[in-house]
Amino acid sequence: MSDSPQEQEIKALGLILLRTGSMLMSNGASTARIRMTIDRIANNFGYDADLFITHRALTLSLSDKDNDHTFSSLKRTDPQGVNFKIVSGISRMSWSVKEHGWSFEQIEKELDRLTSIPHYPRLVLLSLVALAGASFCGLAGGNPLAMCICFAASFIGLFVRQEAHKRQFNIYLCVFFAAFTAAMFAGSFCKLYPNSNLETAFATSVLFLIPGVPLINSFTDLFDGNILNGMLRIVHGLIIAFMIALGLVCSIAIYKF
Amino acid sequence: MGVDWIVIVEKSIFGAGAALGFGILFNVPNRTLIYIALLGLTGVCLKNIAIGLNINIILACFIGASAVGLLSMVASKSKHSPPLVFSIPGVIPMVPGIFTYKLMLGMIKLTGETGNNFDTSLDDTVSNGLKAIFILMALAVGVSMPNLIFRKESFHEMTILSRMERRVKLPRKVKRRKRI
Repeated sequence: MSDSPQEQEIKALGLILLRTGSMLMSNGASTARIRMTIDRIANNFGYDADLFITHRALTLSLSDKDNDHTFSSLKRTDPQGVNFKIVSGISRMSWSVKEHGWSFEQIEKELDRLTSIPHYPRLVLLSLVALAGASFCGLAGGNPLAMCICFAASFIGLFVRQEAHKRQFNIYLCVFFAAFTAAMFAGSFCKLYPNSNLETAFATSVLFLIPGVPLINSFTDLFDGNILNGMLRIVHGLIIAFMIALGLVCSIAIYKF
Repeated sequence: MGVDWIVIVEKSIFGAGAALGFGILFNVPNRTLIYIALLGLTGVCLKNIAIGLNINIILACFIGASAVGLLSMVASKSKHSPPLVFSIPGVIPMVPGIFTYKLMLGMIKLTGETGNNFDTSLDDTVSNGLKAIFILMALAVGVSMPNLIFRKESFHEMTILSRMERRVKLPRKVKRRKRI
């Protein structure tokens, strides 16, 4: 049984929209942005899109103006983390679709290109995040020695987190391992040289793990009225914060500060 | 009581470093990195100036965060990226790390202490904890506030901000940011 051309078109567009939406969700876009982007692409081809968005699945129902043809489907969303190159690229793509009238193939090709863009080189990533850790130490009033320790602690902590991700541990456990390693490293210096004001290094060594994207997106969602998604994100952020605290508490208990 | 400019310059540079590092961690597009560093610098600078002027630390963080939110909208227009790409790394340097740490230490202490010590620990813990929580909320609300005020159906069709930008405000704003 073969579908009519209209059926095929609506199906192809539906699959593209589901892919776009789930890519946005798993890379840290807010709910209002996902809805806006999908509406923009669908309206451009003359369809109406209705969405139900949660953080692990995306439901789409697509219909044409006369309601002759409809398409509904559900797609699972993988939790991945944050990649703003994809979010920014999809936002630009949706404008190209509107302004230059892109075809389905062009959209597919652009989505493939966006998924294959490499991350920053690993050494650059590690050293700049370590720089951010050192900057946090400076912001909290640490001396240069404490900043150096914080640099090394963040470097090692992020390395451990990446390795744990590669071995496919639970994402919250990855955060715990990273926080524990960073705190143990920074704490050893505080223990060895008790009178040199190194406590700020210990306190700020885990700050590179703070869940900034979930917490800020949750407030954006809550104010937009997407209260369910806002609560999801806030709980996700709080579990990460709890795991960071657990890592610190464990090393405090070991060093007996 | 005045504003200590050397400390503010030092902290602003640290703010830029922290924002840059988080930008890299979130894998932002290359073209936005400079703007993110500038946003982090501006936010921390405004926060510290406000603290130097004896403004409450929570309000100071709110001022810094809303400045970051506002500037991120201007930057998103000129660099063609969504505002959240700029605003989230820009606001992270203001996160109250030390207060949260003290809150945690205090909670551990409270489980073990009795008598007068308990009262002093309780005072410190509640004070630090409330500060940490309210600063975090002020940051989140402050960053999303400009987005809520200046939003229309979508960013390209927005008339208020684009007019503002095209005619008068943008040249001034850019200059002011460079002078800081």
